Amino acid sequence: MSIYIYGIIDSNEKISEAITGLNGANIYNIPYRDIGALASDLNTPVRNTDEDRVLEHEMALEKIMKKYTILPMRFLTVFDKKDNVISILNEHYNDFREDLDRLRDKVEFGIKTIWPGAIIRDRIENAYRKAQSDLSSSADSPGKSFMKEKFGKYKIDKEFEEEADRCIAIIDGFFNRFVAEKRLEKLKTDNLLLDAAYLVDKEKQSDFEKAFEELKASPCDLKYLFSGPWPPYNFVTKTNTSHGHE
Amino acid sequence: MSKIVQVDAMDAFIEETEKLQKALPNKIDANPQNVEKGLAKLVLTLIELIRKLMEKQAMRRVEAGSLSEEEIEKLGETLMKLENKMKELKGIFELKDEDLNLNLGPLGDLM
Repeated sequence: MSIYIYGIIDSNEKISEAITGLNGANIYNIPYRDIGALASDLNTPVRNTDEDRVLEHEMALEKIMKKYTILPMRFLTVFDKKDNVISILNEHYNDFREDLDRLRDKVEFGIKTIWPGAIIRDRIENAYRKAQSDLSSSADSPGKSFMKEKFGKYKIDKEFEEEADRCIAIIDGFFNRFVAEKRLEKLKTDNLLLDAAYLVDKEKQSDFEKAFEELKASPCDLKYLFSGPWPPYNFVTKTNTSHGHE
Repeated sequence: MSKIVQVDAMDAFIEETEKLQKALPNKIDANPQNVEKGLAKLVLTLIELIRKLMEKQAMRRVEAGSLSEEEIEKLGETLMKLENKMKELKGIFELKDEDLNLNLGPLGDLM
């Protein structure tokens, strides 16, 4: 039998309500000083492609986060015995304690934004080619022609990124005053303009949601995927907990 | 605290997510039959990374106007030969551009 860990919470007390986790097993607290690791027993191995188990993990975290500040562990964090869990709590106590204090009463929201990347790139490219058409020369050597071609691509890419920066600054401006921390990732693909995670105080949650409604109402050719509140997955300081676990 | 998920065009987001998943490196399938190709892939990926960095640096210098016409020509010829040599090596080991991709975290993909 293994021990499945859902996250670290700011309590060393017994879980008062019955919460089920993976395979319907009861979740319990493994206390250490004033914190605890939320765990359930795992009798059969779980594959990382098992969607039902992923949902069970997430549902358990959502129930837990209603009552506790939680540092969510990644899916499939499994230890072979309780002593190893205690050892991780002991080894990283200060890090966990610091994160729990920083993330208290905060939740995460996700905003993904798609823009018409191909259209924008075409527009930039056409403008660049038009500006360059008068300057082209058939007498260029192969080396110079190669450089001109590469330089054109470089300038188009750069302008595309600058356009993305301008657009992201506008989107971010809607949320900035309501967030404690943020993680913004630009252009993971040409169309995925922004993949943002915002850390928001619970008391500012409705302001944050209203800001999204305002953003949606603004006239621009963008598509949004807005989700939350989530446990603060993107704001937990990464700690190497691999010692002694599967 | 109820979960909110709002989405304008789910299909578009699924499509972009699938693109991202394809960009992630595949598992290394190491066996005696493909070890040579695997090694070539690794080495060529690193060479391609260095070549792209050199190319970018050259473009920055052109942009800054710090190169003479003669230097631009010389650099262009060198970079062109490097690119052609890479194409040749990729052909020998039957590797495509996307095989040499690397996810460089915040810098994006190499290819």
